[in-house]
Amino acid sequence: MIEYIIAGLTNVLNPFTLFLMVAGVLVGILMGSIPGMTATMTVAVLLSFTFTMDPGNGMMLLLGIYGGAVYSGSIPAILIRTPGTPSAAATIFDGYPLSQKGEAGRAIRISTVASFIGGVISVIGLMFFSPLIADAALQFRSPEFFALALFGLTIIASVSGDSLPKGMISGLLGMLVATVGIDPLTGFQRFTFGVPELLTGVQFIAVMIGLFGIAEGMKAYSSGIDDEGKKVDQDIDGILPSLSDLKAIGPVSTASGIAGVLIGSIPGAGGDIAAFITYNEATRWIKDAVPSFGEGNVRGIAAAESGNNASTGGALIPTLTLGIPGDSVSAILIGALMVHDVQPGPALYQEETTLLYTIFVGFLLIYVLILVFGLLGAHYWVRLINIRESLLWPAILVLCVIGAVALRGNLFDAWVMLGAGALGYVLRLRGYPLAPMVLGLILAPIAETNLRRSLSLSGGSFDIFYTSPIALVIILLSVATIAVPAVRSLSSRSSA
Amino acid sequence: MKLSTNALRSSPLAIAFIVGAAVVILFASRFPSGGEVGPGFFPIGISTGIILFALVELVTEDDGGLDVSDHDLRAAGVVLALVFGYLVAMPLAGFLVGTILFLPVILYYSGVRSPTTIAVISLLLPLALFYIFSQFFLVPLPEGVIPFSRLLPRLPVWVML
Repeated sequence: MIEYIIAGLTNVLNPFTLFLMVAGVLVGILMGSIPGMTATMTVAVLLSFTFTMDPGNGMMLLLGIYGGAVYSGSIPAILIRTPGTPSAAATIFDGYPLSQKGEAGRAIRISTVASFIGGVISVIGLMFFSPLIADAALQFRSPEFFALALFGLTIIASVSGDSLPKGMISGLLGMLVATVGIDPLTGFQRFTFGVPELLTGVQFIAVMIGLFGIAEGMKAYSSGIDDEGKKVDQDIDGILPSLSDLKAIGPVSTASGIAGVLIGSIPGAGGDIAAFITYNEATRWIKDAVPSFGEGNVRGIAAAESGNNASTGGALIPTLTLGIPGDSVSAILIGALMVHDVQPGPALYQEETTLLYTIFVGFLLIYVLILVFGLLGAHYWVRLINIRESLLWPAILVLCVIGAVALRGNLFDAWVMLGAGALGYVLRLRGYPLAPMVLGLILAPIAETNLRRSLSLSGGSFDIFYTSPIALVIILLSVATIAVPAVRSLSSRSSA
Repeated sequence: MKLSTNALRSSPLAIAFIVGAAVVILFASRFPSGGEVGPGFFPIGISTGIILFALVELVTEDDGGLDVSDHDLRAAGVVLALVFGYLVAMPLAGFLVGTILFLPVILYYSGVRSPTTIAVISLLLPLALFYIFSQFFLVPLPEGVIPFSRLLPRLPVWVML
């Protein structure tokens, strides 16, 4: 392992790679600081910049944006009670009250250090546990991979949004879109309608840019574009947190970091869920909180921020080991790797070990950059909240278009992006979560190929799925993921 | 628990999904069979799932959508139409000129009124993106009927290295 860590370190210390990491972190902090600009949207819109880079460099830029945005979402949460990204929603509970007491700088410093602790724990978890999972997954055959794809879809549908049927419909729609193109097993053209661009299928990166860029833009305009900025004028004094604050947040940040990795590794359970759970657990376990939680307790900020940042590395565990994205951003990262013909999954740990350790070491360094820039630049980052949305959204729309055009050098993908954006907007208005659709797009080829391969092996018998103990357990888990909430919902309706 | 007209009215998308999935099933059932399961097996299975969950949504009258009254749907439509026009114009005008034409319109619609701000953003952003993608990343961008972008100076060699 040491030799791979050294190789990864050598790669990330390349000046251009370092530049990309710094640029990624700064862009991530910039976008995350502006309410409504999510990490997912930023990564999707800027993905096109990585198409011609080597995969390691591309991942450094995107991971820098991801980490930077998840961290800086806390800044507006603390200052104006509006989370920059959904992950920072739980930071409001104690961050904003502390800011109201005139201690916004202290809250941001605590948030920065806790984000660093959570992020570092998540990368260490990723570095040490993901190879073990990948090793185990090497034993998987077609039935197990089909079961895993099924589980990924059901779990994300159940944790995204408030409605299981809507989550499942969204996921299944994504899967249906992914069946367009040449059938991988028979070569038959499905739903191509004579359009040559559809032979290779719908480009899921174009769909993702549409869902997270265009649809978000339409939603922003329909909710009203802010042309004034938020007018934050608080001064942030000092750079380093006090020793007593560091002592106070150390244990809770560590515990929340570990929990955040575990929660983040569940497909669909992103930083927002991780932060709410770790915050809630902190309030349950810490009995001597002074001031009380909800009134500006630094340990509340630390629990939420360590938890949401730890989910970033956690989300990469199923992404890299099994090819099943942990959240929407990691789904886009899968797309970024696939553009370079790198297929995430257990084989990646055998074939692209240097790339993997470049990602691990680089992600660790990204959290060091976040700590440094977060502490040194806090005074400036708070001013970013004042940026006018009316200037940003036009630029984002242009970036969406260029991202889709640059994908294959044609306009067809831009039309696909626009269609996906319109569909995504309508779905969001009706309460359908979009994350399952993205997962469906990615999981459909895995599910279909392995289902049909399994049935070929068994001569058409479905016995193959329950004679494999691992596949059986995963399928039962998938059924339970749908059945338990459905039964609970039905029983609560009948008792009401 | 039964299907009410209220449910049908409150979940128009569920109805659309059922109809759409039924069309896909009809279409995919004509695919040739191949091996144990043919190319139509998976789309039919997925569409059946969509119909089942859409029915569950209708039966449970699950309406978790956003409050549309807070949303100016016309504004979303205008943005969609502007991007649509931008894409229609691109094969003719090219990326560079098309973007220079698109940005002032969308900036004005976004509420920006300063002519200087509109002019600076509308010129600098397309130029910066053109140089980054076309010359630094070597990604071919649409040039349009008259390739004005070829008149621009190329990036110095040291930048490309």
